[in-house]
Amino acid sequence: MPAYTIKFLPEDRVVAANEGDNLLEIAMRSDVYINASCGGNGTCGKCRVKIIEGQASAPIHSKVSREDYDAGIRLACMTTVHGDAVVEIPPESQVDRMALRRKMEIPHVLSAFGSTDFIRGWKVDPPVSKRYIELQRPSADDNVSDLRRLEREFQARYGRNEISIDFQVLKALNTTLREAGWKVTLTVIETDRGIGIINVEPGNTEDRNYSIAFDIGTTTISAQALDLANCSVVKAAERKDNGLDLCTLAELSDYNGQIRYGEDVIARIMCAQKKGGLEKLQKALVKTMNGLIKELLSMGGIRAEDITNIVCAGNTTMTHLLLGVSPKYIMLAPYTPVLASGVSGFAPSGAATDANGAPKACEENEAEQGASGIVIPPVRVKDIGITLNEYGRLFVSPCVSSYVGGDIVAGVIGCGLFQKENVSLYMDIGTNGEIVLGNRDWLMCASCSAGPAFEGGGIKFGMRAGKGAIEQVKIHPVTYEPMVLTVGKTKPAGICGSGLIDIVAGLIETGLIDQNGKFRRDRDTARVRHGEDGYEYVICYAPESQVERDIVITEVDIDNLVRTKAAVYAGCKVLLDNAGLSYGEMEKVIIAGGFGHYIDIERAQVIGLLPELPLERFIFIGNGSLLGARLFSFSRGFLREAERVARNMTNIELSNSTSFMDEFVAAMFLPHTDQDLFPGVMERLKNGG
Amino acid sequence: MGFEIPKIKYTGKIQEITIGTGQKAVRVGGATCYPFYRFEGEMPNPARIAFEVWDHRPDDWQEWAIEPYRDVIHDPAAWARKSIDVYGAEMIALQLKSADPNGMDRPVDDVVRVVQDVVHAIDVPLIIWGTANDDKDADLLRKIAEVCEGKNVAIGPVSEKNYKQIGAMAIGYGQVVMASTPIDVNLAKQLNILLGNLGVPDEKVLMDPTTGGLGYGLEYTYSVIERDRMAALTQEDVKLQRPVVCNLAHEVWKTREARLTGKDDEKLGDEIKRSILMESITAMSLAFAGADIVIMRHPESVKLVKEMIGELMG
Repeated sequence: MPAYTIKFLPEDRVVAANEGDNLLEIAMRSDVYINASCGGNGTCGKCRVKIIEGQASAPIHSKVSREDYDAGIRLACMTTVHGDAVVEIPPESQVDRMALRRKMEIPHVLSAFGSTDFIRGWKVDPPVSKRYIELQRPSADDNVSDLRRLEREFQARYGRNEISIDFQVLKALNTTLREAGWKVTLTVIETDRGIGIINVEPGNTEDRNYSIAFDIGTTTISAQALDLANCSVVKAAERKDNGLDLCTLAELSDYNGQIRYGEDVIARIMCAQKKGGLEKLQKALVKTMNGLIKELLSMGGIRAEDITNIVCAGNTTMTHLLLGVSPKYIMLAPYTPVLASGVSGFAPSGAATDANGAPKACEENEAEQGASGIVIPPVRVKDIGITLNEYGRLFVSPCVSSYVGGDIVAGVIGCGLFQKENVSLYMDIGTNGEIVLGNRDWLMCASCSAGPAFEGGGIKFGMRAGKGAIEQVKIHPVTYEPMVLTVGKTKPAGICGSGLIDIVAGLIETGLIDQNGKFRRDRDTARVRHGEDGYEYVICYAPESQVERDIVITEVDIDNLVRTKAAVYAGCKVLLDNAGLSYGEMEKVIIAGGFGHYIDIERAQVIGLLPELPLERFIFIGNGSLLGARLFSFSRGFLREAERVARNMTNIELSNSTSFMDEFVAAMFLPHTDQDLFPGVMERLKNGG
Repeated sequence: MGFEIPKIKYTGKIQEITIGTGQKAVRVGGATCYPFYRFEGEMPNPARIAFEVWDHRPDDWQEWAIEPYRDVIHDPAAWARKSIDVYGAEMIALQLKSADPNGMDRPVDDVVRVVQDVVHAIDVPLIIWGTANDDKDADLLRKIAEVCEGKNVAIGPVSEKNYKQIGAMAIGYGQVVMASTPIDVNLAKQLNILLGNLGVPDEKVLMDPTTGGLGYGLEYTYSVIERDRMAALTQEDVKLQRPVVCNLAHEVWKTREARLTGKDDEKLGDEIKRSILMESITAMSLAFAGADIVIMRHPESVKLVKEMIGELMG
């Protein structure tokens, strides 16, 4: 029996609680979001709340200073309630969802290449399409079954065999046909296993065919609503031809509802093994997706019944959890997923190119002969809990291995790496760093646990690229004063990935830190000081910040960032070594990931995250996974191509690699232990420092 | 046409470093080939042996290790002199064991006094080896750098944590530093770069790759020194072109196999011969890998190793 009422500010939400309930848990179950990334064990210190009134107790904690404690600041995860209370969630502990809505902007450094068309020679040919047909009324001479009538007309129009129909459609077929005066629109799905009729609706609705593409990240879920009926390549040529904005009606992001069960995939897998855990995770994910769908529908003015399909790309663990399949063995050696094939209805087919060497991904419209292997037909969205309609289908991008997932396969498709004649490198830097190397003939990939530093994890004032995130910083070489720009140009609340890159690059360029990332204490500035976590640099003093504390970067933060960038660099190096190639031979280095809204390539080179290559070789595509997912939705050729790409990609297990550790240690230096790899950076450091 | 032995093409040279002053100063490094590969390049200076002397009477040495020094073991200066006068030591390595915070934790000033006694008592080059406790060494070795001004001693181990404090004083007082890293080529190189950035001249840096005794990780040290040398000599990695010092005596003599007597286990045979051989084999292996200075304990082991080096250099 709930004994107390707890009021959360500024949302003004009142919820019930029992004696001794944990404040963070109360917030969780009542959908009040408090930033908490450590799962509630008091280590991250991010869930700071202010007890305005009432009875709540929490021990004195090292993450809360004495002065804050006296002002009522507590860590929600360490606080229990013992009476009615009013709790204020300060801005730094709230999640600013609006900020995630911003569409990706092409970075200024790379703007000249923003309009590059990544993909060649594809045409709009969605896996789910609508076909309007008019049937002959039955008569005494022609009294075949309704289904036979449908079949006859369909075959006459489209000349196809291998037709199937959903059992569900049959139930209402007689009334639908008659009420519609025998003029209906069929929704059909075309895969390697033939053509399936999944819906029959009255009248002509051919121009109402929409889909939603999802990137299912461990941290963030992004979605786009797409207009399939009105999309054509002709139209694409008039607009941006990069596939980023093509026919997008609306775009949204939200935090993955599973975050409360753990920050990384391992934590989620652990959670899935607990009793009822898998169902809980699956539901949390679908709930987030349903929320996004609802908003997308209203933003785009689309009816739920006109969404014919949903296409998802996510890492292997997210793919399993979405489908409600146990991911248990993903984390146990030798790391075997239950499935890696996509839920697409396609099997990997033979060669990628035709005799002339042209990619045939989207030119072969007929189901290819000889496609072999197990095919997983797309499932009804309803069956996994998505609230949409009765017939809509869910497609899921195929994965490569336990730690190289469908998001990467989608990215490889999205950026066109699989079509390139010359070898290029693709890197997706999220919580894990995944790297793909290759061209249209071969592909290799690896996954390195880079750590979440670029997404703000493990960084004292780290945050995702939301409102108030410091994203650009310049440090004055003489006065050591910083110039700070934030997302949304508000008071700083924290530092996002691109900001971190800028800060560390600035610190090394001005000589405030040495090449091992440790502060030099002989510089004349009050901004370098000894704080509670060792030496630190103050980027923003409390009065200028949103969080009422000094925003600093500590030696520990720099260590974490160096570790992250070292893992990515070393992963690339090992992959290149495995192929007998070097960075210099890369036609393009394609970067995807959530650093922020832009990435300054030169700064990223200063810290040794990216190799020292001419700037024009780099492409930043933002969310590669979403880019690929939308292409799947536009053209089923890409779905088959994805199966092929996923199946043919050679996965290099870095955990088995003898040279990875060596390369990692070598890269744990700014910019790198092998300074000959960064001659330009070294020259700059010599002149500046 | 006669047969020609294939030769490795070297592009680098190990930095030549002088330790000590005057006639008895020792030069190490300078090689343009792998250790003892004198048919492929120059090896102007042979590997050198430094006799270890403790700054305080050791309490856990085997009887047979104490024996050669029994009369002087309580007096570091006399001990050092005996090593030179009786056993022909060309270098002394003073181990500041008593300063260790996990042991006696003697105050810095007391230990500095011992160093002064020893440095004034001898005319051969002196290596001064701290506690490997970053904080204590930062304090201790800085003072030692100061009091040994003009003696061109080698001080260490200098780590990534305390290189700034010790390095700065070493520059000021012209001492050599021993840059110590945990058995890793990249970490060794990084510390050398950092010391360079600080302004420590190239000819004032020795590398300590961290040494394991025979049967206790020697092969790791061996591989790392070998790789240091490959990078230095064949890959033009200038930041690794530093002579190597190995502090091995303590590692060998503390092992179980160097302690058990023939009575404990007949199969192990004579303990004196055994431990001396263990020390000799460790030292010789490291010299083969590329060590330029080996720090040793027993006069008999030293004699064996010296003979062998002599033969290889002859």
